[in-house]
Amino acid sequence: MPTVYDPRGQVGAEAKAVSARVKSLDGLRLGVLDNTKWNANKLLREVRDQLKGAHKFGAVNYYRKEAFSRFADPQLIEQIRAENDVVVTAIGD
Amino acid sequence: MSARLADKPQSPATLTPVDDATDLVEWYYEHGYSDGLPVVPPTEAKIDAMVAALGGDPEHLETRVPPRWGGLTRRVLAINLVMAGCKPEYAPIVRAAMLALCEPAFNLNGVQATTHMASPLLVVNGPLAKEVGMNGGCNAFGSGNRANATIGRAIRLVMLNVGGAWPGDLDKSTLGSPAKYTYAVCENEAQSPFAPYHVEKGFKAEDSTVFVIAAEPIHSVVNHVANDPQGILDSMVSAMSTFAHNNAVMAGHCTVVIGLEHAITIAKHGWKRADIRNYLWSNAKIRFGDIAFDHRYGKVYNRNLPVWYKRDLESRIPIVPSADNIHLFVMGGEAGRFSAFIPGWGSMSSPVLREIDRPGVKGSAKREPICVDGTCYL
Repeated sequence: MPTVYDPRGQVGAEAKAVSARVKSLDGLRLGVLDNTKWNANKLLREVRDQLKGAHKFGAVNYYRKEAFSRFADPQLIEQIRAENDVVVTAIGD
Repeated sequence: MSARLADKPQSPATLTPVDDATDLVEWYYEHGYSDGLPVVPPTEAKIDAMVAALGGDPEHLETRVPPRWGGLTRRVLAINLVMAGCKPEYAPIVRAAMLALCEPAFNLNGVQATTHMASPLLVVNGPLAKEVGMNGGCNAFGSGNRANATIGRAIRLVMLNVGGAWPGDLDKSTLGSPAKYTYAVCENEAQSPFAPYHVEKGFKAEDSTVFVIAAEPIHSVVNHVANDPQGILDSMVSAMSTFAHNNAVMAGHCTVVIGLEHAITIAKHGWKRADIRNYLWSNAKIRFGDIAFDHRYGKVYNRNLPVWYKRDLESRIPIVPSADNIHLFVMGGEAGRFSAFIPGWGSMSSPVLREIDRPGVKGSAKREPICVDGTCYL
């Protein structure tokens, strides 16, 4: 009886829980992460401005990755985590 | 998401008995474990021979391959090597290539998933290329050589099967490229009038190395007229100086292949590798206004180019930030006045050069990119 082989290799991923959803944005600190794609800043600035007009945030912070195709620097992720309660990111090709 | 991404592979990688009547080639097609061409159905004996060529210990984890981050054990690598049609003596080259590709600075995660058509180009230097029969001569980038074809194919199968970059799933390339089937060559060291690439980078001639770079397909550079370096290289400058390839808009690294006849003409005038790279770098320039479309679609700064580039519309900016970002190889057959320009993907990926480990020959040396403030140099 012939045998076949799975060529994929195992994935060692761990499941992570999604953060609890917030009920209101008022008073929270909003972070916006721009991934530096061609049109990401246009999209995200508009999102930021619309959100600012609709909610009373405690703070609004804007961040940029070094390069759109690379992972964000772990220090930047840590900074965003420390300085914000909710974060919005997007690409804009 | 397709089943091949969602399913969990068994451990260890894995044998499933099937009916005697099963068409094995079709079985791999049906499960999506192919690059589109028929694969060689693995057998235990063939897998064992590959694992032995990698130094034994089949469950040894060599690396994880993004964006799926599948575990590339020697056994999994061996299965893919057999499927690609490799001989066991090719295995250390493919392993070294995968280790180079999985260096963080290469950013294989991005290369695999990008909408661009980039594919990793592998160039092998040193005696191992000749020992296994790789071709850097006539038709080097073409068909007909088993080592080139199956080494490149094995890398692609690993990127598909272990890395999960199946087109439409995690590979989002708009157009793709034929280089996504196989893209592996060696330098024509035996006939080149210059020092080999890896020697220029500090290795010994007797070392064997792999060089990987995220690359567009090759672009022909013809010059049947010039009998001096400037004339030949001005044709290369012309090919480099367009604003449509990714280096123009995103900097990074590129590859220049000097055909053998061109290389011999250039060398007769006493020019060395650095002279060629410096000439190309200082002359291959484009007008900033061209890549910014003279701000016709709004004022564009282009944050992907180095901050030190002048951004006046009439500024002449280089194709890559430094002559060291031009990776130069001599290849090709004895007849024909052709060279090639191979644009890179951009500053999002840095090429990697590393020595090839073989059982009994531990080559630990590698030239990892040195990254300072987001800019990487090899």
